[in-house]
Amino acid sequence: MGEIVSEADKITVMDMEASLEHLSRGTVRHVDVMLIVTEPYYRSLETARRTLPLARALGINHIYAVVNKYRSAEDEKAVTDFCKNNDLEIIAKIPFDPEVTQADLEGKSLYDFNSAAPVVKEVEKLADTLRQRVPLNNSSASKVLTKPNC
Amino acid sequence: MKIGISGKGGSGKTTISATLARVFAKKGFPVLAIDGDPNPNLGMALGLDAQTLEETHSIPRGSITERVEGADGKMRMVLKDTVENIAALHGIHAPDGIRLIVGTKVETAGAG
Repeated sequence: MGEIVSEADKITVMDMEASLEHLSRGTVRHVDVMLIVTEPYYRSLETARRTLPLARALGINHIYAVVNKYRSAEDEKAVTDFCKNNDLEIIAKIPFDPEVTQADLEGKSLYDFNSAAPVVKEVEKLADTLRQRVPLNNSSASKVLTKPNC
Repeated sequence: MKIGISGKGGSGKTTISATLARVFAKKGFPVLAIDGDPNPNLGMALGLDAQTLEETHSIPRGSITERVEGADGKMRMVLKDTVENIAALHGIHAPDGIRLIVGTKVETAGAG
């Protein structure tokens, strides 16, 4: 423990399910930021494109694309063009890194496997960018809705 | 700041979620990580070992959720308490002081 931190300094990271369905169920209504992770290929980008209006409809103010696993300058350009044409703002570009698979095979977190890995470095930049763009006292109520009873 | 991370299966959202959580925790922020995926593996991505994950008991659903009628007239399951309090009571201790809540363990536990 140690240092006293205010409620507003708390960071909640929610790894959401892959389907778009959860967005219409209100699971994420209280998030301040929605990051849409997309790979530089068509079906992944299509999912990102379809997620944007759903996230907007929930009143989420900060919606950003995180480009992941790009392997070349061509990849990067293609995904950048797609996002630009579809009103998706890119907040981070993370290169393909074989260390992610190596860490997984060893049952380790990427951070513990190599905290200097390119992916970690880009995520550090992402964290700093989020701090700059999203006011810390922006958080909505702590109560979040879970799935409707079914 | 509450950050939701979405994306197609296999896009790497769990790796990014876990790494972002570790990065913020290393910077000194209190971090709550929520695994909302039906096939949860955020715990391992955060650096929990297999044994700890195996030993993690499920959260009894009825103890933290209740049914309420939403504004649209539909019944929904909502959390009885704040996420912070639930994390304090039921959260798993992950590296760098991160608290982890595995959502699907909540959903399936106590269903039978």
